[in-house]
Amino acid sequence: MPGNFPGPEPRREDDVLAEVRDLVEAMREKMFGGAGGGGANGGAAPRRSIGPWPFVLIAAVLYLGSGFFIVAPDQRGVILRFGQVVRQVGPGPGYHLPWPFEEVLKPSVTAIRKEEFGFRTVVVGPPARYRDVDQEALMLTGDENIVKLLFIVQYKVKADPESTEDFLFNLRDPVETVRAASEAAMRQVIGSNKIDDVLTDDRERIQVEAQRLLQQILDGYDSGLKIETVKLQDVDPPDQVSDAFKDVINAQQDRERLINEARGYANDVVPKARGQAAQMLNEADGYRLAKIQEAQGAAQRFVALHDEYSKAKDVTRERLYIEAMEEILPRIDKIVIDDKAGEKTVPYLPLDQMLRPRAAQSVAEPQPGR
Amino acid sequence: MDRRWAIVGGTLFLLVAAWSLVFFVVPTWMQAVVLQLGEPVRTVREPGIYMKIPFIQTVLYFDRRLLEYDASPKELLTRDKQQLVVDNYTRWKIIDPLQYYQAVRDEAGAQSRLDDIVYSNLRENFGRQTLLEILSTKRDALMADITKKSDEAMRGYGIEVVDVRVKRADLPEKNEQNVFGRMRTERERLAKKYRAEGDEEARKITSNSDKDVRVLLAEAQRDAQIARGQGDAEAVRIYAEAYGRDPELFSLTRTLEAYRRALPDSTSFVLSPDGDFLRFLKSDQPAAKAPRAGQGGGAAP
Repeated sequence: MPGNFPGPEPRREDDVLAEVRDLVEAMREKMFGGAGGGGANGGAAPRRSIGPWPFVLIAAVLYLGSGFFIVAPDQRGVILRFGQVVRQVGPGPGYHLPWPFEEVLKPSVTAIRKEEFGFRTVVVGPPARYRDVDQEALMLTGDENIVKLLFIVQYKVKADPESTEDFLFNLRDPVETVRAASEAAMRQVIGSNKIDDVLTDDRERIQVEAQRLLQQILDGYDSGLKIETVKLQDVDPPDQVSDAFKDVINAQQDRERLINEARGYANDVVPKARGQAAQMLNEADGYRLAKIQEAQGAAQRFVALHDEYSKAKDVTRERLYIEAMEEILPRIDKIVIDDKAGEKTVPYLPLDQMLRPRAAQSVAEPQPGR
Repeated sequence: MDRRWAIVGGTLFLLVAAWSLVFFVVPTWMQAVVLQLGEPVRTVREPGIYMKIPFIQTVLYFDRRLLEYDASPKELLTRDKQQLVVDNYTRWKIIDPLQYYQAVRDEAGAQSRLDDIVYSNLRENFGRQTLLEILSTKRDALMADITKKSDEAMRGYGIEVVDVRVKRADLPEKNEQNVFGRMRTERERLAKKYRAEGDEEARKITSNSDKDVRVLLAEAQRDAQIARGQGDAEAVRIYAEAYGRDPELFSLTRTLEAYRRALPDSTSFVLSPDGDFLRFLKSDQPAAKAPRAGQGGGAAP
């Protein structure tokens, strides 16, 4: 390993130079051949007087031209002179001294990089397909439970020029470093939380904590990297116990259902009972009022009658009696028996024939008021 | 002409050859040790261009960047006798290339040394803590301590240990099964509790509403009876007040009224001509005195 430079970016300058040299070589050969041909033609061409200098000139131009470079919009150009950073340039064309004096590194600094934990995207899709990596996904929580957690980390190179250099020169393997640090950070955060917090509503807090911790770790490495987001994807109980967890959810639903059913029952029964009660009260009140009205009516009638009656008591009494009899007697069967006749003969009354089944009631001759 | 070509070519060749024989470049992410006939004579830690004696001196390069070392997972025992599978990683740097070269030669040597030292520190420190402390409460302090101790031990090899961190700390397979079992029973307990709570609450609500219904109805019944009673009482009072003016008239009118209602059609009646109603049938007493109230006619059934 030592002896050659496993630089962060492949160096193209060697190739360029080799190309230049090849070109010079090729042209020289061609020129020798061409010169002979020219002589044979015997044209006005100057004989052997060109010499190597034009080609040296071309070679020199090509050599110097190899220092031109273009920095793409997402990149920064870092120019090294004998391995030392001398300046940085933004996107656009630029020039550096040709090999072996200067070279340029062009890392992509605006691209947001992404790492997946607990799963891998197999097909980007759509539809995307994923594969779980349980070894990464299963984590111990603070209450010694195990949770299956998938998350992603997005990061990029920090914006300032020093960070670009940090990113280029401080880590040999930035991706592996980010991966390892992310796993360590997330597991540390999960390790200090309870499973129910992790599974339910504390996702936001866990993401923030993990991000903070991860940033802290990477800053400790002078990585020049900025964590954009730590995002929990799926947080589930492990497959081995997921049915039990689902059943808890079901049980919660059952609880709500039972309560709602009971509330429904209450909502059905109580208003009906209220209605029934109101009905009873109204009926009773109606009865009360009717009774009173009836009584008042009867009383007033009586009072009116009494007023008149007291003016002519006997006549009125007689009249009332006769009127009543008039009304009653036409409707009923009558047998008139003289008492005196009764004294001589025993009157035969076929009561059983006279009484029809319905009329089994005691009868009495109306007697005026007693 | 041939000579001129030879001069140009020769110069170029000489330049390149001299360049690579005399100069060497140390880039910013590297450091180097210069060996003279195998003997280290110089350490170069700053980037730049340097000279060496051709053929006699050779240059060995070493990385200056942060290097990774990811150890294979190992089983450790915690203070509370829990087995833990720990997967840790180490981040380290070569700070003294000469010492490093002399002590471990290359990265493989360095990693095997790191493995020994980090592992022994890890085992020792974890053995003094409980599982819970390792998982959460003391994790940071623990790792900082291990890093510090490992760093001290590795300095002699020209190595700085920047960070030792537990990537994963999991339970071994067989303990995992126990944990799953426990998690399952815990969840079952919770599920039962939720269902029982639902039942409890539902029963409370239903029985409460049943109670409300009964009370409502009973109250209504009570109030209804009271109202009816009031009505009756009021009616009685009104009647009494009115009829009290003339009990005799009341008796008459009420009786006659009762006759009207109480004697249905086709009631058989045996009347005596002596009765009040028929008394005028006996014409021998044309001047019969008018019947008097209370003088009832003889009735016969």
